[in-house]
Amino acid sequence: MRAAIILGICLAALAAVPAEAATTYPLTLNNCGMDITVPKSPARVVAIKSTATEMLLSLGLADRIVGIGFQDGPLPDTLAAAGRDLKVLADKVPSSEVVLGTEPDFIYGGWESNFAGDAVGERPMLSRLGIASYVAPAACRTVKPPKLSFDGVFGEIAEIGAIFDVENEAAALVAAQSAALGAVVPDARGLTAVWYSSGTKAPYVGAGNNAPAMIMDALGLANVFGSVDDGWISANWEAVADANPDVFVLVDSAWNSAAQKKKLLAENPVTSRLDAVIHTRYLVIPFPASEAGVRNVPAVVDMARQLKALSFDTAP
Amino acid sequence: MSWPARTIAYLALWALLLASVTIAVTLGPAGISAGDAWGTIFHHLGLRADPPLSPLRDAIVWELRLPRVVAALGVGAGLALAGTVMQVMTRNPLADPYLLGLSSGAALGAVIFLLMGAALLMPLGAFLGSLGALALALLVAALLGGATPSRAILAGICIAALASAATSLLIFWSATGDSYREILNWLLGSLSGTVWSDAALVVVALIVCAPVILLSGRGLDAFAFGEASAASLGIDVARLRWTLLAATALLTGVMVAVGGAIGFVGLVVPHAVRLAVGSRHRVLLPASMLVGAIFMLWSDTVARSLFDPRELPVGIVTALVGAPAFLLILLRYRRIT
Repeated sequence: MRAAIILGICLAALAAVPAEAATTYPLTLNNCGMDITVPKSPARVVAIKSTATEMLLSLGLADRIVGIGFQDGPLPDTLAAAGRDLKVLADKVPSSEVVLGTEPDFIYGGWESNFAGDAVGERPMLSRLGIASYVAPAACRTVKPPKLSFDGVFGEIAEIGAIFDVENEAAALVAAQSAALGAVVPDARGLTAVWYSSGTKAPYVGAGNNAPAMIMDALGLANVFGSVDDGWISANWEAVADANPDVFVLVDSAWNSAAQKKKLLAENPVTSRLDAVIHTRYLVIPFPASEAGVRNVPAVVDMARQLKALSFDTAP
Repeated sequence: MSWPARTIAYLALWALLLASVTIAVTLGPAGISAGDAWGTIFHHLGLRADPPLSPLRDAIVWELRLPRVVAALGVGAGLALAGTVMQVMTRNPLADPYLLGLSSGAALGAVIFLLMGAALLMPLGAFLGSLGALALALLVAALLGGATPSRAILAGICIAALASAATSLLIFWSATGDSYREILNWLLGSLSGTVWSDAALVVVALIVCAPVILLSGRGLDAFAFGEASAASLGIDVARLRWTLLAATALLTGVMVAVGGAIGFVGLVVPHAVRLAVGSRHRVLLPASMLVGAIFMLWSDTVARSLFDPRELPVGIVTALVGAPAFLLILLRYRRIT
């Protein structure tokens, strides 16, 4: 962990050295198994999902966004002002025609499935129309991404910085996030945790290789499902009960809020007997911060504060 | 089948059922020994004074595994029984318990309740939905000029198509984030999250409906030759048909409400059992129930423990096993006829 942080700081420093760095266009890069060419800094961008929108806003690119869709929740306070006047194309994934109607030159999708034929449109089709498409690297399915680390998250920030020729802003953001992350002291109490994302009959939980694993690792929590090589899985309540975690991480979303999860855990005859439920040891994270993006580091900082406030005097 | 052979077959099936239950409650992601698992059950049945396990592990056996085992047995028996009845009443080998739009109606009801934020009341929604679909199908059939089996099937197909379209539309319209995942799992058929009240619902439905069907064995034998032949044998065809239809619908509605539309059990088990014991319903019906229960119990045990710590919807297991089994049965039939 510490090595990763130091590496992150070094990378940030490296990126910050050529202060007047500028992107040479056309820029070609491989994104999620597809070569894309960006002829000039994109001027008309459509962002699908909160992670994409928040990345662009964090780099000061609000004026490039011509439309957003499928937002998972409200913007964080730090970005609310910048994103106040964005045009919402659709609450769900906007259709291809709606997106093309905005005449975009760049589409940024938080999930690869946003580029399905019945969603925004297939990537090769968009490419033929001269529109570059970009899938958040951690959400790529065509090519299995490496286990997510904060360097991976910072890599996405740097890549977007290069695409939009805002390297300095990207480097500054990475430097600030590295510093914030470096100030977090991982919990040393040897606690175990289950990342409860959604689901009632079978819990959908964070597994070993995506944002949940990365965040729990940074907090010093041992992920009960960390050995499963996947981002999230439909787990089974017996496996959760058997592990009897010290802490539950509850993902707070509009469709399955943290309050609903607390109620379910407290009322179920089995989960109500878990130590974390008896002693109400919960950490809460807003859904948009629970997928790879610019809100991961602030979430770690916030959850480290929540974790510090929890008492473990009675058990384990 | 002669009576000694029949008795031996019944005894063998009951023994297999008991052995299956004995083993199934000891299997699961949590490492609990067979002795402790049974000690816990004996404790709750009042046969043992102190619990062998901590309250949490006690709950794993008594609140997670056992209700699921009971529900799986009941759902398997119920679906196999309902499938047998539907096949003979419609004289259609492709019939299954979901024929009259029951499962599609149930899915619609469940999705409506889920999207209203009442995930825990999904069984009630499913039950109301299946009854609604059945009532509509029979009403349409009656409007077509009397509810004969073929009209009921056609009406059922219409209602099923309408209900599925409405379900898809609702999911498309209102599923946010990843809430569709829960719906998809349920649509595939799943017993995960089964609690004692679900298991009790299944058992009560069986106690109410199964005797009605089991006691109609002779009538069903006559039905196999067509309604006219049945009538000529002195059977009140209309009354028997409505009684059986009502019992089957109630049974199926409850099974779908608890487990979703678990496929292939109600289709394959009756065929397999018929191949083994013949088509006399006094033997076929109870044997189908036993085989359905055993098949379902093992499917669910695989679904909940083989991919530890993941959970697989049991409908995938029943289809994976059921589809090839159905093919084998078809090949056997071909050789016989």
